Amino acid sequence: MNFRVLSVSAMLVGVVFSGSLQAETLVLYTSQPAQDAQMTVDAFEKANPGTKVEWVRDGTTKLMTKLRAEMAAGVVKPDVLLIADSVTLEQLKKEGILAAYPSAESKAYDPALFDKDGYYHGTKLITTGIAHHANAQQKPASWKDLLKPEYKNQVAMPSPLYSGAALIHLSTITANPDFSWRFYESLKENGASALKGNGSVLTAVASGTSPYGVLADYMAIREKAKGAPIEFVFPAEGVSMVTEPVAIMKDSKQPELARKFVDFVLSEPGQQLVLEQGYLPARNGMKTPEGFPERSQIKLLSFDAAKALENSETDKEGFSKLFN
Amino acid sequence: MSHPQLSSLRNPSRHWWVLGLLFIIFLVNVLPSLRLLGEALADIVAGEKSSFWKVLRSSATWQATWHSLYTSVLATLLALVLGAGLAFFIALTNIRGKSFWVFMFMLPMMIPPQVTALSWLQLMGPGSALLQLLGIAPALGSRQPLYSDWGIALLMGIQHAPLVFLSVRTNLLVLPKELVEAARLSGASQYRIMLDMIFPLCKNGILAGAAIAFVSALGNFGIPAMLGIPASYYVLPTLIYQKMADFGPLMLNEVSSLSVIVGAIAMVGVWVQHRFQSKMPLLGMPGKPLAFDLGTSRLGCEVGLGLIITLILVLPVLALVASSLVPAIGVPLRHDNISFSAYAYMLAGQGVTWRAFENSMFLSLSAAFILAFLALPLAYVIVRRPRRLYSFLLMLVDVPYALPGVVLAIACILLFAKPIPIFQITLYGSLGIILFAYLSRFLTVSFKPVHASMLQFDGALEEAAQLCGASMVRRWRDIIFPLLAPAAFAGFLLVFMIAVNELTVSALLWSAGNETLGVLVFNLEDGGETVLASAISVLIVMMIALLMLVLGILGRNLPKGVIPWRS
Repeated sequence: MNFRVLSVSAMLVGVVFSGSLQAETLVLYTSQPAQDAQMTVDAFEKANPGTKVEWVRDGTTKLMTKLRAEMAAGVVKPDVLLIADSVTLEQLKKEGILAAYPSAESKAYDPALFDKDGYYHGTKLITTGIAHHANAQQKPASWKDLLKPEYKNQVAMPSPLYSGAALIHLSTITANPDFSWRFYESLKENGASALKGNGSVLTAVASGTSPYGVLADYMAIREKAKGAPIEFVFPAEGVSMVTEPVAIMKDSKQPELARKFVDFVLSEPGQQLVLEQGYLPARNGMKTPEGFPERSQIKLLSFDAAKALENSETDKEGFSKLFN
Repeated sequence: MSHPQLSSLRNPSRHWWVLGLLFIIFLVNVLPSLRLLGEALADIVAGEKSSFWKVLRSSATWQATWHSLYTSVLATLLALVLGAGLAFFIALTNIRGKSFWVFMFMLPMMIPPQVTALSWLQLMGPGSALLQLLGIAPALGSRQPLYSDWGIALLMGIQHAPLVFLSVRTNLLVLPKELVEAARLSGASQYRIMLDMIFPLCKNGILAGAAIAFVSALGNFGIPAMLGIPASYYVLPTLIYQKMADFGPLMLNEVSSLSVIVGAIAMVGVWVQHRFQSKMPLLGMPGKPLAFDLGTSRLGCEVGLGLIITLILVLPVLALVASSLVPAIGVPLRHDNISFSAYAYMLAGQGVTWRAFENSMFLSLSAAFILAFLALPLAYVIVRRPRRLYSFLLMLVDVPYALPGVVLAIACILLFAKPIPIFQITLYGSLGIILFAYLSRFLTVSFKPVHASMLQFDGALEEAAQLCGASMVRRWRDIIFPLLAPAAFAGFLLVFMIAVNELTVSALLWSAGNETLGVLVFNLEDGGETVLASAISVLIVMMIALLMLVLGILGRNLPKGVIPWRS
């Protein structure tokens, strides 16, 4: 009897492993919302018949934890990363686990948006501003509005322990002498709550549990287009920005396919898809999606990538102490 | 059970398969816990600086322990009131449609916790599509009331009330009816009969039920994860999860120590449960069960029951359905904006939704199938060859199910983080590790029905066959297997139903391409895609209800105790 059991289990386990060893399968780790990730993957698979992309979605910071866990166990899964911010990728580049690929497509991009050695390429521009429920009583116009008594216990924001964009936002704000850590301390005093990713903030604002939220632009603008009662504001002081770069892992088992993926995301059709998904494309000469101001109209807060990289661990710690 | 032992079983040459079976049970059920215990012990011995002491000194540990105890005790109290109350009503009175009520009341237990939490979230708060439809949604900026310790306790109480219900009802059904009749003839009032007779007689059932509800609440991950994490309210299982999610395997030592703490608390609960359960009488007097005549208040009672079911089951499910039909979160549902786009997306048959569905199907079907084949010989050995070792084995089989799922997951990570020696296969990061954990966790679910069936199966049949010269294989094929098969199939369906929606274990063990349905719902809600998460949850609830119906129909032809909610 037990032989039969053993052989059945061996057979089943065999199926599991053969499934994961198929050729021409690209593994993508991304922080895009699930439906966008699926669209991107579908389009790539369609453009490259016979290929298959498996993908995992999670917050950038959490994905990095997963990646490090896998590195420690000696099973590195992803071939390609498509995650929120370049600071995380700069860190990975320094650790030597990325492969350089100077894509020919980068000619159509502002040099500030990709690594000059080709370790990573920005794919879209995602700013973090303020979202509010359509029926909210206040109409916030500046970051500092969130500290007013009218907003007491009404503001939600994403956690940098989860989201890459939130980490960049934290570093942008705290490095800015007009705000500094004092701003976050005041937010805490005013009862702002730190949720998980931007997705949870979107839910909180649109469903009205927190009528105001610190949120990535596309989330609010896109949901509004679907009819959700949410508005997005670019605050007067400016916004922080991430570029959602794409990068190839050095240990990729499908380097050729991985390069094709990078080229695809940066190409004009790839950027057209980004536009259709409701993001601001990073490529020059693309249109802006419905509901966005012109690219040149968006005022950015100053940002020092080197400093952000240097401070990322202490920033996370500081935030965690303040809000957990 | 004192069946004469069959001679072939005393023949040592036949023992190889018993040994093989014991070895598999050891591997799957005992080894993970041993590995975890070893890790923690090695750590304690290492002294002051070890992570065990660090965990003991950390205030987060004690806060989470307090939260765990607080919410679990509250949930247990609620489960007691709901479960025992309904058990009295349904088991002791002449209420109509008993099997309908039992079915409706069992459903909340079988719905996975993350789906329960999601549906209640859709029921409350200013964004509830259902409340907006009715025009009674609270004002903007009102906090979601469920994101709190009370919210967690409420949902866990409702989810685990059926466990108390089952335990109390089992006890009530075997009450000696003659005693009650004697008391009534001597002029005792209904009230005195309840207080002086029925309560004391089913005390063990109530206490055992309370213990099992407490252990389940302590190990519940889905509800405190969905309701507690957004409010930074951590219980032990979510603290373990969050530490692993935030810091990865660097935390493995600390997390192992935490797991040992929560495991130890759970084991105390299991011990209490066994203690009271073993005192419960197994068989009652022959004759009809008690049925107090409610008289004219019967209709009132039925309406009351209906209201309770509406409150704890129908409304949350309706809210879930409403949320799955809106075009975007926060939009009120109207007749002209109903959107099936979430369903269309889900059923388009590709992408991560489909893959998670495939993975969960594969995992739960394989686990159910393998476990059915393990349960058959195991039940046979335990019943036919009662030995002290086996009653100990029976407890061991229970352990991975009684332990909080997060603890089992950590144990499996410890066991498989490095490649398996000799075979050089790394299970970590594959579906294999989840399958292993499911085998470990659900063996008892698959075993219990077969065991119950085996206990009622007369050994004389087999002996007669043996006297006529039938070999072991022949006896299995022609007698044992056909007689146990229905129970094994019931166990198969139970395992399948629980495993296909499992979240707690897979939340820590999933990896790229290996998501399960439970993880998918959790991640989608996490990523702000509530509408899609709701649509998937609606299908899950439908699937559960369907499977329970099938089990109920199947149960009509099965011996007592095979389907937990059938008497």
